[in-house]
Amino acid sequence: MTVTTRSPTSRPAVNRPRRVRDDVAGWSFVTPSVALLGLFVLVPLVWALVISFQRTDGFGSGSWAGLQNYARLVGDRQFWRAALNTVLFTGIVTPLALALGLGAAVLLNSVLPARGVFRSVLILPMAISGVATALMGVLVFDENTGILNRMLRSTGLPEAAWQSGSVPAFASVVLVTLWWRVGFCMLIYLSGLQGISPTLYEQARLDGAGAWQRFRHVTVPLVGPTTFFLVVMNVIYSFQVFDVVFVMTGGGPRDATSVLVTYAYETGFVTRDQGYAAAVGIVLLLIMLTFTAVQWRTSRTRDLVE
Amino acid sequence: MPLTRRRLLGGGTALTGAAVLSACSGFTGRDSGSDEGSANGGGGELTFTTWGTDAELAGFRSAIERFEQSSGATVNLNAVPYEQMFTNIDAQIQAGNPPDVFRVPYYTFGSYAGAGQLLDLSGHLPADAQDRFTPQAWAAVLNGGKPYGVPHHTDTSAIFYNVQMLQDAGITDVPTTLADAWTWDELSAVAATLRSSMPDDRYPFAYNWQGNGVTRWLSWLFQADGRFLTEDLFGPAIDSEAGRAAVDFTRSFFEQRWVPSNNSVKSTTYAADTWYGQTAAMVWSGAFNIPDADASLDFEWGATFAPTDVRGGGDFGGNALVATKDADPELAAAFLDSLTGADSMREFCQGASLLPTRADLVDGGIEFTVRPELTPVFLGQASQVAAQDSAQVASPDMSRIITVLKDQLEQAFVGGQNTEDTIAGITAGIADAVAAS
Repeated sequence: MTVTTRSPTSRPAVNRPRRVRDDVAGWSFVTPSVALLGLFVLVPLVWALVISFQRTDGFGSGSWAGLQNYARLVGDRQFWRAALNTVLFTGIVTPLALALGLGAAVLLNSVLPARGVFRSVLILPMAISGVATALMGVLVFDENTGILNRMLRSTGLPEAAWQSGSVPAFASVVLVTLWWRVGFCMLIYLSGLQGISPTLYEQARLDGAGAWQRFRHVTVPLVGPTTFFLVVMNVIYSFQVFDVVFVMTGGGPRDATSVLVTYAYETGFVTRDQGYAAAVGIVLLLIMLTFTAVQWRTSRTRDLVE
Repeated sequence: MPLTRRRLLGGGTALTGAAVLSACSGFTGRDSGSDEGSANGGGGELTFTTWGTDAELAGFRSAIERFEQSSGATVNLNAVPYEQMFTNIDAQIQAGNPPDVFRVPYYTFGSYAGAGQLLDLSGHLPADAQDRFTPQAWAAVLNGGKPYGVPHHTDTSAIFYNVQMLQDAGITDVPTTLADAWTWDELSAVAATLRSSMPDDRYPFAYNWQGNGVTRWLSWLFQADGRFLTEDLFGPAIDSEAGRAAVDFTRSFFEQRWVPSNNSVKSTTYAADTWYGQTAAMVWSGAFNIPDADASLDFEWGATFAPTDVRGGGDFGGNALVATKDADPELAAAFLDSLTGADSMREFCQGASLLPTRADLVDGGIEFTVRPELTPVFLGQASQVAAQDSAQVASPDMSRIITVLKDQLEQAFVGGQNTEDTIAGITAGIADAVAAS
């Protein structure tokens, strides 16, 4: 019997051109994304970091300030107010958007008449820009001529100071953001729900589980990866909130709705203290990175599959 | 030709590269329709960036045509929305590719001039250029005593009033001449009368100090004969009796409910909208609002002069035209000279309901196209602006000072901060702003 074997050294010789071709193809696919990411994300990021160590009004090269901008942040009352508002906004909007989104998704995943229409209605706000959404919010929440106060007035209920009262102003921003964001959460949850096998619900029903128990012990755990994704996205969106606040309240009254991005914008483009504004931006980035890392390490359901 | 993977990848890379390059070219600020090689008519080429209403842009286009015909040069007009105007200009300056000429509010002018980004027009403008303009207009384009622009037009706030709402309160005697303008006390009496006769959700007036319009609060300071900067523009000067009077009086608007509570300086509801909605009987507004009000309001309205205290005073609103430091000095100066010529300025101001800065046009030289009978009110009001007032607003530190005014006045108006703390806050803020430059 003749046994033919390939020489160990012949294998690379035969496959090498193919491997090289594969490598080239792989890099060719990756390169445009990496180049665009580098050019439009990493370069501005590093640039912002460099600017945050400078004292500059944006014209000319600026002067080196070391950690002065970061030291200023520690004693800046408006920065801490904006940071607190941002955390509060995130803490309120994220769970509410997720809960309402999941509720709507469960409802619209069931046998509901005209559910296509309801889904479209909920998704529709996503098609509208943040600025347009906020302008509609102004029409609703203007405390003199807005629709909401007119309705309250006509029904004899007390009007709310949506623009001059700190708490109502904050609430108006939260409500408009929720209107915009619940549709997004609903859409993502809907795709998660449609990945759950109906047999699991059938089995749970046979085991005597009621509607709430099926929701609590089947639906909620199995949409864990979706929830993980939505929590991260909602927190990032909330920390980056700008257009709704800028158009609806401008950060007022008395900084009650000022958030980190509006504060950075005011500092960078109105006061023209661009080094300090960049420092605010870098702090915002660090907060978001920290949150995402913590969420990544602590989430038990992010990789849960059926 | 078969489409292989290699060709697909090559094509994709080329398209990506083209997209990146075209994206970069979006920052150049050049008119996309211009062709630098062929558009040059032999007399040079300029890029001019501005925002504007339809009437303003029509005025600019007409003036550009006039300049192009007389000089043989080509001007590429780049009209952008106001909201994007200065983020674009700043990005273009930072990228080293700004327009040759752009339009800038007087309160922003100092930021660019002070940062060395504008062309010093000394020696490039005609020798009699200074004499052409009113003293207050000329003062608004000076930085360190040198002209870095030309005052293209101005605007100042007078009072628009709803005739019916005033009549309902028994107020029929509204000043018709500058000499009869209400004093602060008379304005207070009118406001009190209106307040007592109006339902809770209606207000005597609204004031236009929202956003960067916070500089219009300075009109009260000027009327009290005060200053916010020292004469050399390097220190705060608001800690004065006039400063206290201005803060006290304007705080009382909110305490007495003469203005709606969302009429504060950081509100996103503009005063004009409050008046349009008939929530307020009167509003302070510039003449630029006349065409819009005339077209959209279905109630009878008029305009009268802003009040006076120790003296008359008003905001020096409007815009200058400036050239950037690397523009062709002679061509840019010739263009600015042409745009501020009598014919161009008259046509622009009449069409857009704005006020001229040329001394020869101020004295009855123009008449608004819409509601021409209101022209004397605004020309008269503009005459109340003193050169010492407009010079302060042209300070290179004005952008920082605007932030200080916004923060402190918001606290005073709706945050319960008292007058002394407000004056102290503004003083400290201005001192920091001036020291930071």
